[in-house]
Amino acid sequence: MWKWLGRPILADSKTAAGSSSIKIFTAGLKKYALPPDYSGITIPDRTKLRFVERAPNLPKARREFKNLRDIRGPSSEATEFTDGQYGILAMGGGYLRWGHFEMIRLTINRHINPKRMFAVWRVPPPYKPITHKGLGQRMGGGKGAIDHYVTAVKAGRLIVEVGGYVEFGEVERFLTQVAKKLPFPAIAVSRESLQKMRDMEEERRQNNQNPWTFERIITSNMLGIRKFLSPYDLQLKGRFWGKFFLPDRV
Amino acid sequence: MAAAGYCNRFCSAGWHPTIQFIRHGSKAVTRHWKAMHIVREKLMAVTKYIPPKPPIPVECMKPLVKPVIEENGFTKILRRQVEQTFRENNMIAVCQYNYAPGSDIVLMRHRLRKYNIHAKFFPNEIIIPFLLESKYKNLLPLFVGRNLILVSPETRAKEMLRVLKSIPQINLLGACIDNTILSKEGVANYAKLPSMVAAQGEVVGALSLLTSQTSTLLQRGPAHLTSLLEQYVKQQSSEEVKQGDGS
Repeated sequence: MWKWLGRPILADSKTAAGSSSIKIFTAGLKKYALPPDYSGITIPDRTKLRFVERAPNLPKARREFKNLRDIRGPSSEATEFTDGQYGILAMGGGYLRWGHFEMIRLTINRHINPKRMFAVWRVPPPYKPITHKGLGQRMGGGKGAIDHYVTAVKAGRLIVEVGGYVEFGEVERFLTQVAKKLPFPAIAVSRESLQKMRDMEEERRQNNQNPWTFERIITSNMLGIRKFLSPYDLQLKGRFWGKFFLPDRV
Repeated sequence: MAAAGYCNRFCSAGWHPTIQFIRHGSKAVTRHWKAMHIVREKLMAVTKYIPPKPPIPVECMKPLVKPVIEENGFTKILRRQVEQTFRENNMIAVCQYNYAPGSDIVLMRHRLRKYNIHAKFFPNEIIIPFLLESKYKNLLPLFVGRNLILVSPETRAKEMLRVLKSIPQINLLGACIDNTILSKEGVANYAKLPSMVAAQGEVVGALSLLTSQTSTLLQRGPAHLTSLLEQYVKQQSSEEVKQGDGS
């Protein structure tokens, strides 16, 4: 068909062998898909990811408790997009070390075009000290020395944002490449896909055919089930187990 | 240790509203997947998400349209021939057909045709549906395996049996003669009967014999009487003559 469209009306009587003898002269008009609308996108001065310090600059480094609570449950910060359109979403809790930051920074900076794209951090640089007793040391003698610093990330938090005059298909590949190397399950998302994910979750909650929901059973303490549950289950409603996020639950 | 002791004391004391169970020791958040308590696992299994049933597809709601299968022309012809055969013939004999070597079958058909008996081969797929609907329904058990039908507008069972005797490959199973279903023995008995004309003549002869006998019996008495009277009259007349001479 495109051959006919491409050929002008003054095509000769010489038709292609095998085609029907009736010639149809049509003058077509090719329509192109409209380019995406990038109005309202401003590219900041610094388009590349900033270098992240290995340790915070503190006057006195204090050793902290392990405090694993900071990776449990849903994140309350950095759950929405700010400047960019695409990002990496954490699907579980975990700690980011300086090596992860470097990996993210180098990979994304290598792949983005700084003239039309930009990337920003959505996580603070490593702030939580992790202590470590040296190799071959006898037990006792108090808490070990600070070995490194990490950043705690909860499920549902954006790690980095990427934006600019790009489509999701262009950035998805390297964002997924980065997401696979993180110490927790993570996916590449766009504003639309994140919204779609949340809508789907809401729709599942609304149309759940199971009358026995986790929340209903534990709030009324059916069969004394609270004996086997934690008070956190009242908040988390069975969607989290430790640092793990259970996306199939409602 | 102390905590364990507390627990033992609490557990042995039984449940009391003021007593709360103490969670102690183990971490709630771990780097690895921690096994859940069995009761909690059951709770998670019970409270799983159940998706709503998908709407019934349109194909299931409207009745299925069966494609009309065009009947083969040859099948039509065969069916018509079967109907015609059963309509036009008085004698229908069903035989089991085994493979006969050489031209035996051809010869047999030729010999049968002399007596106006025709051998027909019909597939069971054609003949069984026809029989199911017709009045010959009781012939159905005979149609198993390969069959041969011998048909004739006349009822020549004797000739048919004579021809069949020469071919052991063809076994007579049963027959329908003049709307009467007969077994193999029945057909043999039927063949022994004389023909219709002869039977009628016999009946007429027997009937007329009786009447003639009756009439003769009835006529014999008066005839005898008349002869006796004649004799008497003759004797009387001769005596009178003798007396007249003597006096």
